[in-house]
Amino acid sequence: MDYGRSTNKGTFIPTSSMGDIAFLLLIFFMVTTIFREESGLPVELPRAEAGEEVNRELVSNIYINRAGQISIDDRLVQVKHITDIIGTKISDNPQLIVAFKTDNYTDYGVVSDVMEELKEVNAVRVFFNNDIEGTPGQKY
Amino acid sequence: MGELRMDSTADVAFLLLIFFIVTTIFAAEQGLTLVLPGKQKEKTDTVKVKESNIATIFVQDDNSITLDRKPIVINHIQMSIEDRILSNPKLVVLLKIHPEADYGMMIACLDELRLAHANKVSLKTATK
Repeated sequence: MDYGRSTNKGTFIPTSSMGDIAFLLLIFFMVTTIFREESGLPVELPRAEAGEEVNRELVSNIYINRAGQISIDDRLVQVKHITDIIGTKISDNPQLIVAFKTDNYTDYGVVSDVMEELKEVNAVRVFFNNDIEGTPGQKY
Repeated sequence: MGELRMDSTADVAFLLLIFFIVTTIFAAEQGLTLVLPGKQKEKTDTVKVKESNIATIFVQDDNSITLDRKPIVINHIQMSIEDRILSNPKLVVLLKIHPEADYGMMIACLDELRLAHANKVSLKTATK
């Protein structure tokens, strides 16, 4: 580069390293970003056509797999402990929405039992997660 | 002479950065919302509904569905309920599900009811 070229003023800021700085910042933030991820249980969500979205901040997930195992916050729990767990959460955040990530082929009885426990602690806002990607008309 | 111009690298980096910031969509979760009845402290909390205003959808343990005791195919629920809401806006749909029925079936029914704009839905678990 022709640094000797001084046109009208002698002062001159080298900008060639700005690209490096931008890339460094980009890489730094890419590397340090951690998405809060919950692994839960592997489930095949049911398909549905009607769908709403909810504010993620308010959501607490309950995973129920085909075998009827229940997982909250990556811990396997039993139905009788749900009142305690959700009870604490609901007192922290009365707006809490409980999201069911339940397998298509789970017996409804398990879901029903969980909902009964939720009613006990007044966690009345529930959400049933769907798979919206599925082709319409092919439900269940 | 044969040197690369580096001044515009910053611009390119920023353009890429802005492009990816703008186009990133976090996978939104889709689903059906429902508000459960809270804990009933007193008998007065219960609401009585006239029998003529109730449409009962029953999902049996073999995942077959009946609407007011008549067998129905899942895809027809929307139409039937829509018709019934038109003739009776006070209609309450009682979705009764056998505990051994599949969860997917219950969601399919709930989805149909949502599509039929049935807002008054009551869930009930059938006894074994």
